[in-house]
Amino acid sequence: MLSHLYNQIKSQSSISEKLEVLRNDKSFRKFFVQFIFAIFMAFFLFYLITRAFSLELGFGHLTSRAGFGISHTFLVDYTSNNSRWDAYFTGVINTIRVSLVGIILATILGVLMGLARLSKNFLVNRIAAGYVEFIRNTPLLVQIIFWQLVLLQLPQISNALTFGGISVWSNRGILLPFINTIQNGSLWVLVLLIGLVISLVIRSYSSKYKEENVNFISPNILSLITFLIIALAGYFILGIDLYTDVPVLEVNQYGTYIQSGGFALTPEFAAILFALVLYTGTFITEIVRGSIQSLPKGQTEAAQALGLSNYQRITLIILPQALRSIIPPLTNQYLNLTKNSSLSVAIAYPDVFMVSRTIMNNAGHALPMLSLILITFLCLSLVISLFMNLLNKRVTRIGA
Amino acid sequence: MLNYRKKFIIVISLLFSMLILFACSEEESTTESSTSGSNTLATIIDRGELVCGVNDNLTGFGVINSAGEFEGFDIDYCKAVAAAILGDSSKVEYVPLTASARFEALAAEEIDILIRNTTWTASRDRDLGNDFTAPTFYDGQGMMVKASSGYDSIESMAGATVCVLQGTTTELNLDDRFTGSGIAYTPLTFETNDPLQAAYEEGRCDGWTTDKSGLASKRAGFSNPSDHVVLAETLSKEPLGPLTRDNDSELYDVVQWVVFGMMQAEESGISSSNVSSMAANPTDPGMARLLGVGFDGGEPTDFGFGIPVDFMQNVISQVGNYGEVYDKHLVPLGLTREGSLNAQWTEGGLIYAPPFR
Repeated sequence: MLSHLYNQIKSQSSISEKLEVLRNDKSFRKFFVQFIFAIFMAFFLFYLITRAFSLELGFGHLTSRAGFGISHTFLVDYTSNNSRWDAYFTGVINTIRVSLVGIILATILGVLMGLARLSKNFLVNRIAAGYVEFIRNTPLLVQIIFWQLVLLQLPQISNALTFGGISVWSNRGILLPFINTIQNGSLWVLVLLIGLVISLVIRSYSSKYKEENVNFISPNILSLITFLIIALAGYFILGIDLYTDVPVLEVNQYGTYIQSGGFALTPEFAAILFALVLYTGTFITEIVRGSIQSLPKGQTEAAQALGLSNYQRITLIILPQALRSIIPPLTNQYLNLTKNSSLSVAIAYPDVFMVSRTIMNNAGHALPMLSLILITFLCLSLVISLFMNLLNKRVTRIGA
Repeated sequence: MLNYRKKFIIVISLLFSMLILFACSEEESTTESSTSGSNTLATIIDRGELVCGVNDNLTGFGVINSAGEFEGFDIDYCKAVAAAILGDSSKVEYVPLTASARFEALAAEEIDILIRNTTWTASRDRDLGNDFTAPTFYDGQGMMVKASSGYDSIESMAGATVCVLQGTTTELNLDDRFTGSGIAYTPLTFETNDPLQAAYEEGRCDGWTTDKSGLASKRAGFSNPSDHVVLAETLSKEPLGPLTRDNDSELYDVVQWVVFGMMQAEESGISSSNVSSMAANPTDPGMARLLGVGFDGGEPTDFGFGIPVDFMQNVISQVGNYGEVYDKHLVPLGLTREGSLNAQWTEGGLIYAPPFR
């Protein structure tokens, strides 16, 4: 206690004795070390902040005309006449696109491979083990460039495969037939997504209600009807006109081959996607395997004793329990995948990082741009964490 | 009680650190201002080495050769500056940089000067806080296509996919040319040259655009150069040259006048083979001023660069004059000087040095 220490110091007559008291006091020694450390940290932070303010801050330059093209635009119509903000937003959309598709595919791959690793079938088991051991932690950048070079081996556009006019396969991209709309397509997709969320919420509430009122309409049917009503309302209000978008390969008057239409999988998008999915999939495989193996063997035996089929045993008994220990490390993998998508800068996929670097090169202001990138990735991470925490809360509920 | 003491200690230590922070803030700010107006020339002389940001992947301009050494047109300018300041052209540390990382490296003082086939533009000069010394090579953006494609002009490339390097003026010129003329195109933007070259060779893109010198360099590296043609059209002006940080006048002046000195040496007929005899016996006062020697028994002229007055002797004897450097690195790529912008002004080009007076 400080007053105690003060009295002790006061009771000593000479300076050297007073110092001796201080030196022997344990709490003062601790305080002194922390104090020195705090001073160093304060200086360091102060230095960094003054350096930062000596550079120009602000986002004013982002309203200027961008002046550069972006090869992959998805959901947004971007041209070089748009502002740099629009270019940045296009990059954000591209990052979200590759991360979202990557997360979904990596989860499917990881769960299947995780189950396969536990399979008693020798071949299935070995394939899954080989996949994990070969691909796990080979540098991701190398994998991305590898996939890009592999996909460039597809036929050149002048020799593209067309499969009788329904699809175009070349190293400019794989175009698949696709159902498209003439107008308001992306708005309708948004409406469908909102409808999906609403119907899931209704399903969750109505199933609780049904527990008490047995005669109530089935929650599944209720949510399906809700979804259909929202989808159809959107269809008519937005004037959606669906048609089959068949990809075409044509030659213009100058002899340039142009492929267009359909759902396009470009080599750049496919390379970053394959690499992210295969890389993250190995870690998810091991998470799934470990979580299942950590369950008591009695669970499997009990399921078998009850006469459940293998499929029922996995989907009703094993996976729901394993999910409790799967989800926290799985969240880390999702965050990693999102972060790793910025490596696409190496292979011409215009994600948020790549677009920002172009802007930084054209206009300077590196520090605000880097902060903006950090904030963007932070937001993506927080959204992923939020969803995963909600899911985690749900699966950890006893008796859920 | 223990909890209270802990809190107390934390508060006290925070208060103390704040106090010291404010007490020292004045001193801090004075050191700040002295570093921002820094004298890189003095730093280089103290260090005994020049740190030069370069390209390591552009044959003729800056590339690592089979012996593992940097060589090229831009590399020779690093050597020339080192020879001028330190008297030894080998005292250079080369820092290979990508196009998109180069200005950050210069601004962050990782390098002293940047000599990496960099185009002089207004926004780079002002916004990015650089100072361009003088163009060493007048380039223009071109477009390389496969000979078999039949393209003969930019207009004929409607709908084409074009490979371009990220973070370059090239990317912006490309868009100006295509979008400005209402020609549809898809840019495919790469960060480094190797994946770009792979994509071009595999036919992922129809054209490859960069400075014409760069295209000539890459074309010369293909197994069969005649399969590729560089279109005649020039998309933009691309004056390339060394640059320093803003407000670094001492070094800026030295680099600028080394560049001019090499041009003047060529104009005056001084080369690495005759520089020692010329210095011993200058034929006119102008030559004596350039080489930092007295004319007819007089005192040598000191321009006050803060480096030895005979710096151009070291530059010319160790590196050569402008024509020698050009012939050594750029002529093998097929970039002839006659009739181009890079001829001496006396022969209709733009290579023109202000007077050494």
